[in-house]
Amino acid sequence: MTAAQAPARARPPLWRDVRVLRVVGQAAALVVVGMLLAWLWSNLQNNVDSLGIPAPTDFSYLNQPVGQSIAGSDLRPTQSRLDALQVGLVRTIQIAIVGIILTTILGVLLGIARLSQNWLVATFARIYVELFRNTPPLVVIIFIYLGMFINGGFLPRVGDAVEIPNLLAADIRGISVLWVSFTDSPWPYLLVLVGAIAVGWGVVRWRNHVQDAQGKPTYPMLSGLVVFLAMAIVGWLALGGPTELSAPSVAENGRVTGGNKLTPEYAALLIGLVLYTASHVAEITRASIQAVARGQDEAAKALGLSAGQRLRKVILPQALRVAIPPLSNQYLNLTKNSSLAVAIAYVEMTRVTSDLVANGAPAFQAFLLLAFLYLLISLATALITNFINGRLAIPGR
Amino acid sequence: MKQFGKRAALVALMAALAIGVAACGDDDDSSSDGGGDTASAGASLQSILDNGSFKCGTRDDLAGFAALDASGERAGFDTEYCRAIAAALFGDSEAVEFVDLQTADRFTALQSGEVDVLVRNTTWTGSRDGGEGANFLATTFYDGQGMLVSADSDFQSLKDMDGATICLTEGTTTQLNLEDAFTNAGVNVGEALPFADPELIQEAYNAGRCDGWTADRSALAGFRTNWPGGPENVRILDETFSKEPLGPAVSDGNDDLAQAVEWAVFATMQAEEFGITSANVDQIRDTSEDPNIRRFLGLEEEGGTFDPGLGLPADFNYQVIKQVGNYGEIFERNITPLGLERGVNALWTDGGLIYAPPYR
Repeated sequence: MTAAQAPARARPPLWRDVRVLRVVGQAAALVVVGMLLAWLWSNLQNNVDSLGIPAPTDFSYLNQPVGQSIAGSDLRPTQSRLDALQVGLVRTIQIAIVGIILTTILGVLLGIARLSQNWLVATFARIYVELFRNTPPLVVIIFIYLGMFINGGFLPRVGDAVEIPNLLAADIRGISVLWVSFTDSPWPYLLVLVGAIAVGWGVVRWRNHVQDAQGKPTYPMLSGLVVFLAMAIVGWLALGGPTELSAPSVAENGRVTGGNKLTPEYAALLIGLVLYTASHVAEITRASIQAVARGQDEAAKALGLSAGQRLRKVILPQALRVAIPPLSNQYLNLTKNSSLAVAIAYVEMTRVTSDLVANGAPAFQAFLLLAFLYLLISLATALITNFINGRLAIPGR
Repeated sequence: MKQFGKRAALVALMAALAIGVAACGDDDDSSSDGGGDTASAGASLQSILDNGSFKCGTRDDLAGFAALDASGERAGFDTEYCRAIAAALFGDSEAVEFVDLQTADRFTALQSGEVDVLVRNTTWTGSRDGGEGANFLATTFYDGQGMLVSADSDFQSLKDMDGATICLTEGTTTQLNLEDAFTNAGVNVGEALPFADPELIQEAYNAGRCDGWTADRSALAGFRTNWPGGPENVRILDETFSKEPLGPAVSDGNDDLAQAVEWAVFATMQAEEFGITSANVDQIRDTSEDPNIRRFLGLEEEGGTFDPGLGLPADFNYQVIKQVGNYGEIFERNITPLGLERGVNALWTDGGLIYAPPYR
């Protein structure tokens, strides 16, 4: 046997050696891809040269004035295109953050509801999920915009605004509510708030620890909240009240001024994205809960935990480990789908970019920058979810 | 080995992609060259005359300019100019083959010879005359951006619209023009809402979401005609805040065809100036003693029929007027029903911009 194996161990010829072929194959693929990219790049440069438009590395167009305002922002036409893009970026991030939070809450509730013993609740959740999961998000957004806001009939026309004096004023142009704004730079007080959240969170953990050690209820969330509020109030007083209130009011010409305005476009985009994405999150939640071994629930029951406690303390923490990777996918989808705002006149990053291109900005650079910004947002989202995933993963695996 | 097989497949895919991209790239090259260097892509005047009909690039979806009427026939201002050109070239206004074009494809179609003449409410601009390889001829309609407001609103001019919410269609220079116009009027735009398509704007406008709707006046007039509840619910402000001259175009380098098309257009304008209509042209031809009119209608004079050397039949002006009509008739048939006044599109003798060079 050993004698027979010896010749087999001798190296095969190069063209049949898997190790050599692998290296050569990879190198060849690399060269082909490299050549392809180089060719595309030179092709781009040639075409750009022959058309006499700015070179693909020239981003100076961003310094020119944008020439138009953006609805609902302070941007003036004389400001630069970069400022306009910044407004768009902030709006995209804002939609993403608010949307992700609302989607998670709604989606998890729906996912739990789908597993409910109550037939009505489970069926409702199921119909909801099937309805929204199988409808394109653009359709959902336009449907919400026209059906709920524009033709919904619950928002009165300009001049007939519904008003709760100094608190709320609503017409078809938007719902304005009493709002807090900073008289000066917002940063000092925001820092105080961040500190208060950190200390409050520390208190929650500490009370939790005491509860686990001593086995008697210590109300950790409540204590944390009290500490946070106390610090927030003391900080506000210490900084001499750095905020002022802006109340909505109806002007003589019937238009609503002041306050913070929630426009129908923003609301429709947000609601549409949340309703659509929540249907996917619900399915992820359901699957993750079902992935937790049945014995876990039975064991918790044997310990005498209530249904709510079992869900909160035993099932969901374990389900979360399964859910996080697919959830982060849905969060990215929500962020990218926010570009559908172009249909309903909400101006965000994609809209700003296509307007810039329509008004003479070089298309290649503008869309390259747009893609890069979406990539940055996506990477940041992935980074955060990966971090959470790492924290939650079962150690030692 | 299995892994390597996958990789090979990937490389093959890349190669296929590269070929696809290369093909696209080549296309782009040839079209940009076609715009700049090629002498002429379209058929020459002689080959069109030999052919017995010409191809007119148009559309079928813009009320008043080029659309299908209730009986499914082509109608509209641009459509009639296609027919007028046919009448001038062949003495037969039916000798035209209509080709419907998308906005994005219209110049490519002109360059590639898919159409001989483009009459598709296209704005004459420097870059289109230059880079797109088109040759714009006499303007048939002076359009411009306007503002549509509710009939019962207090807005009489842009000055009254400080802080107003304006709806508009995305993707063109409409918003830039709007902001410039507001700045010039000394007021600010409250909100400018750029929508993807007019149907959504109409819904939003009717619900009171915006105070005004800005677009080209001719387009606004079309929307107004079909306004739900009747056109009397909305009106268009008098101000015009951009220049949009619309007219026919041929491809660069096709000078004979360009001259022929241009003079077919002038025929309609000159006829209105002479007071000649499709109804009275026969009578005037039989009775007129005015040498200018006799020359214009291609009648025998001492020394024979006047031939300016445009390559057109001697009676081409007569054929255009007899078969299609003069400028005023074409305007009244197609644009007046939209609720648009003659305005700057009046004859120069009435203080407008419509002016034909002398025919002699």
